[in-house]
Amino acid sequence: MRTEAMDQLLRPKKLIVTTGLALGVLVIVMVACSLVGSEEISLRTAFSRSDAASNPDHEILVRVRLPRIILACLVGAALACSGAVFQALLRNPLADPYILGISSGAGLGAMIAVVGGLNWTLWGRSPIAVFAFAGALGTVWLVWFIGRLTGKFHVTGLLLAGVVVNAFFSAVIMFLTSIAKSEQVYSTIFWLMGNMAEEDFLVLWVGAGCVIGGIAALFFISPQLNALSFGAEDARSMGVNIARTRTIAFAIAAGITAIAVSLSGLIGFVGLVVPHAVRLVFGPDHRLMVPLSGIVGAIFLVVADTLARTIIAPAQLPVGVVTAIVGGPVFLVLLVKHSRKIGWLK
Amino acid sequence: MSGIIEVRNLSFGYTSKSAVLKDIGFAVPSRTFLGIVGPNGAGKSTLLNLMSGALKPRSGTITIDAASIESYSAQELAARVAVVRQESVPIFGFSVMETVLMARTPYFGAAGFESQADRDIVKDALELTDTTAFASRPLTSLSSGERQRVFIARALAQNSPILLLDEPTSFLDLKHQVGIYDLLKAAQLEKGKTIVAVTHDINLACQYCDEALLLGTDNSYRHGPANEVLTAEQIKEVFDVRIFAGRVGQERFFMPLGKRAKDNAQTNAKTGKI
Repeated sequence: MRTEAMDQLLRPKKLIVTTGLALGVLVIVMVACSLVGSEEISLRTAFSRSDAASNPDHEILVRVRLPRIILACLVGAALACSGAVFQALLRNPLADPYILGISSGAGLGAMIAVVGGLNWTLWGRSPIAVFAFAGALGTVWLVWFIGRLTGKFHVTGLLLAGVVVNAFFSAVIMFLTSIAKSEQVYSTIFWLMGNMAEEDFLVLWVGAGCVIGGIAALFFISPQLNALSFGAEDARSMGVNIARTRTIAFAIAAGITAIAVSLSGLIGFVGLVVPHAVRLVFGPDHRLMVPLSGIVGAIFLVVADTLARTIIAPAQLPVGVVTAIVGGPVFLVLLVKHSRKIGWLK
Repeated sequence: MSGIIEVRNLSFGYTSKSAVLKDIGFAVPSRTFLGIVGPNGAGKSTLLNLMSGALKPRSGTITIDAASIESYSAQELAARVAVVRQESVPIFGFSVMETVLMARTPYFGAAGFESQADRDIVKDALELTDTTAFASRPLTSLSSGERQRVFIARALAQNSPILLLDEPTSFLDLKHQVGIYDLLKAAQLEKGKTIVAVTHDINLACQYCDEALLLGTDNSYRHGPANEVLTAEQIKEVFDVRIFAGRVGQERFFMPLGKRAKDNAQTNAKTGKI
């Protein structure tokens, strides 16, 4: 006997079809956005068989726009996915990828690199990116460590540790800002606002590999994330190994966030809004939430970055400004329309 | 002493100087219904948390199926013991069906999906708890009584021989209180579950439990058949309150009498029959 409730359950077919459709939309958005910009280009010209060197459309598409669009994809996917995971782990609707201090840690790393006047490169990465990455991971480890000291896996302890570390590092950043030279301050602020630039394909492929691998791994623990959203004790008595699930989820979510931050600075709002929007429309099941948050995050950031580089062309806005300005109203509309679907508004 | 759950010389305290539970020992035979009764602060919920493995004993042992509770992995323990806590608050708007299905999480396939066997188990659990009718509704839209049934359904769906419940009726009206206990009794008699319920409600414990464990705030405890443990004298002593004890047919009942209760003067705390 089949019931209506049984039919509403997530089936593998529904997961594959929904994810496939979302990926289709992502590809369409990527192609459309690659044609938009201060220079008019056409796909036909870009891929016509004329000599590639003398084909400016092909050059712009492949060397300028495509790398940036791919970068936006993987940063958006990483932030949105990690936001979804942090909201489940911390059982807190206000959680985002930066809640445990990643942002201030990365910011401090970037600031130290700038103020220290470092100008070497590591595997083609600037000191800012390297220090931001190290700062992000170091901070998460520190917060995790302090959280463990306050009690085994107490979510409140972890959150408070995040808040305190965030505040402390922000103070250090302000201190460094006040003693730094003004042009150094300017470049840091630009980085803090979140910014996209053209990247090497090698960096992009490595980044994409890590982010896609991370999201895939998160998908495989998504049934456990579902159980964990009822609280650690409930999840444990349902047979979920919470220590393992939490460690894996924290490590991966923090890792892909650190990658995103080191590639593009602190882009806000994606990690908070996209998981909420996906949950409002598709329901709370993390088996669907995790892949869809990734794809929708990618779509959102590709569109936001396209706006950022075209609205005041030839000048560019930091993409973080666009994500907040576009994302805020969109989220409010969703919230009002679907607020009955989410539990914590009660 | 033999039972599916055995507690021996169990002591526990939240700080090193105080002890909530001291040297407690009892056995729960398979397929029985044990009520854990006692005043606030006597350590009822603490004991339940120890029995579910959420807390570790300071000393003493708890065995389930003759093996120490600490020797089981989370999944192995979940296959033996299911727990219903007080009002678990769902953070996301999962439906009833999704919630109950989560009990099968450890048995999901590699891709994270349930099997047909899992679905059949969930269907049975929904039917036994009479929750099939609102299985597609979000948990947040249910009343407390309905939600409690759903959490019992989820515990049943773990297919474990043991069910632990922490005050399963504390937020419910009379009808739903009786409904929950009827449901638990049915699970005991029809599905052969061993049930351990912490409760404030002595009267329900009297009506439904086979055995009772009466915990006092002074680390004392009394364990035995419910009708021997739950007597007017013992309840009066442990709860430190005057008690009117009565009887309706087979069922005994106890009514507390406060100093300023309207009828206190007339009854004079005599025990008697109605």
